[in-house]
Amino acid sequence: MRYKIFILFLLPFFIIFCLSIPSYSQHDEKNSSAQKSKKLTLVQAVMCEGIQDYKPWNQAIVFSISIGKVSCFTSFDPVPEKTYIYHNWYYKDSLSKRMKLFLQPPIWSTFSSIQFREADKGLWRVEITNPEGNIFQIVRFSITD
Amino acid sequence: MNKLLLFLYSIRWQDIVDVTLNSYILFRLYVLFRGTTTLRVLIVIAFLWFFQRIAAYLGLIITSWAVQGVTAVAALIIIVIFRNEIRSVLQAKNLKAILWGVSLKTIKTPVEIVIESVYEMARKKIGALIVFPAKEDLKELIQNGVSWRGRISKEMIMSIFWHGNPVHDGAAVIQGDQITDVGVILPLSNRKDIPLYYGTRHRAAAGLAEATDALVVLVSEERGDIVVAKESSMRVIHQKEELAKILQEHVGITTKGADHTRNEKIKTGFAAVVSVLFIIGVWFSFSRGLESMITLEIPIEYMNRDPKIEILATSVNALNLNLSGSGTIIKTIRPDQVNVKLDLSKAVIGRNTYTITKKNITLPPGAFLKGVKPSVVEVTLDVPISKSLPVQVDWAGKLPENLILSEVKLYPAKLLIVGGSHILNNITTIYTEKVLLDNISESGKISVKPALDPASLKIALGSKDKILIEYVVKERPQ
Repeated sequence: MRYKIFILFLLPFFIIFCLSIPSYSQHDEKNSSAQKSKKLTLVQAVMCEGIQDYKPWNQAIVFSISIGKVSCFTSFDPVPEKTYIYHNWYYKDSLSKRMKLFLQPPIWSTFSSIQFREADKGLWRVEITNPEGNIFQIVRFSITD
Repeated sequence: MNKLLLFLYSIRWQDIVDVTLNSYILFRLYVLFRGTTTLRVLIVIAFLWFFQRIAAYLGLIITSWAVQGVTAVAALIIIVIFRNEIRSVLQAKNLKAILWGVSLKTIKTPVEIVIESVYEMARKKIGALIVFPAKEDLKELIQNGVSWRGRISKEMIMSIFWHGNPVHDGAAVIQGDQITDVGVILPLSNRKDIPLYYGTRHRAAAGLAEATDALVVLVSEERGDIVVAKESSMRVIHQKEELAKILQEHVGITTKGADHTRNEKIKTGFAAVVSVLFIIGVWFSFSRGLESMITLEIPIEYMNRDPKIEILATSVNALNLNLSGSGTIIKTIRPDQVNVKLDLSKAVIGRNTYTITKKNITLPPGAFLKGVKPSVVEVTLDVPISKSLPVQVDWAGKLPENLILSEVKLYPAKLLIVGGSHILNNITTIYTEKVLLDNISESGKISVKPALDPASLKIALGSKDKILIEYVVKERPQ
């Protein structure tokens, strides 16, 4: 009898649970398809002296050669699926470095850095592209004395 | 042989005209002034000039300078001193005679003057008695003469036998080109066969002719006849030519006259040849003698370009031409007389290389090309397109260490650029001219020009040619 009462007590919860399972599943599917229908979007692309706490530190467009290192911080929201992007570093109009960076859904931030020598003073730009080479954004900066 | 051909090839039509014209002018000066002092002075000046050229060629600076001065002064002096002679020569001749006529005898012989005078007196019925001695001395037979010793002239003869002249009844004695005596009394002839109408003058003529080998020319005052008495004969002369022949035979210039004419012709021909040679010498002296060099920078003209194609770049815009020629020609060359032209009718899009040859260069007559620098020209052609390009600021210098240039905005952010497709397709950014960071201490604005590289790129019409930079400066966090 005690078991019956216990079962009767749990039954509504079970029913609700059973009913709720397909509902959750459906919701997940809906969410997943919604995520997939969204485009990979770049929300932030900046040059900075470094990364601290997953955030760009000392954003700038002119960097002294004495710093020695510059980073390009990019943040994507949403990231519909696992994918990758490229950070193409150009010194004037010639490609200097190409970096492949992976992104994880739903939101992802990533960065690439480059070390500079004395000869690297001048005009730089970083092109942020998708795997197909489509440019999200170009970030321009200068390395000076 | 090749040098000769090269030389002949280098002669211009202007040179031929130059030499011909000046040779003729020189020859005409000789014809007009021969026998005068002016010609002799002109010859001296010519020698002076020639000497000056030689002195200059040998590098005798002071001699050359002094002779040049003397020549210049002498040329002025000749005009001043001989102005009367020059005037008389020019006034005495008509334009045709000055420009064309060649009189073999500018000065008439005594025989001609005598004939002219005799016929003039015959026409005017002025009695005259003229004695032409031969080899025999007449001093024993002629009396009361007045010594004259004057050069023969028509006017003089006419005045001697003019009625008012005290000596007009006597005879005049002519020897060579001089009237030696006038008013001479001749011995009278005792011949019986002399016509009765002959007067004393006739008898005097006959008397001297019979007694000596002299020839006497008589002009009848009454009839105006001209009578020649020689030995025992007396004959009336009607034609000038006949009288001339008799006189020339008597004075022994019959053959001499022909020789004289031939000599005159030879002399004139020689003068013509000398004139030509002299002017050729002068021409050589000016146009070939002292060769000079000059280097001119001449811009290249591009011809026959396809209008759809533009010249984007050239290795050079001008060529240095090394030219040679006579000093006179080289000194007078102007850059606009020299052209360098490149035919682009066969040029293709991209880089075209041309080697400069004489065909590409036009020079004034008398100038010769010695060298071209550079001898090869590269011309880059392209089809012009326009492209909108983002602008990036070319920062330079050093920003104060306590500052960070955190943000920049550009107005306009993009420029519409026109240029060759080959170039523009490879360009993704237009950079500004350098902007110094050293003086930046706070946020602000600055206006700069784009630095278009290569220079063939142009900002499209209507697009702004300056860029406004709005920058934000922050304190660097510690």
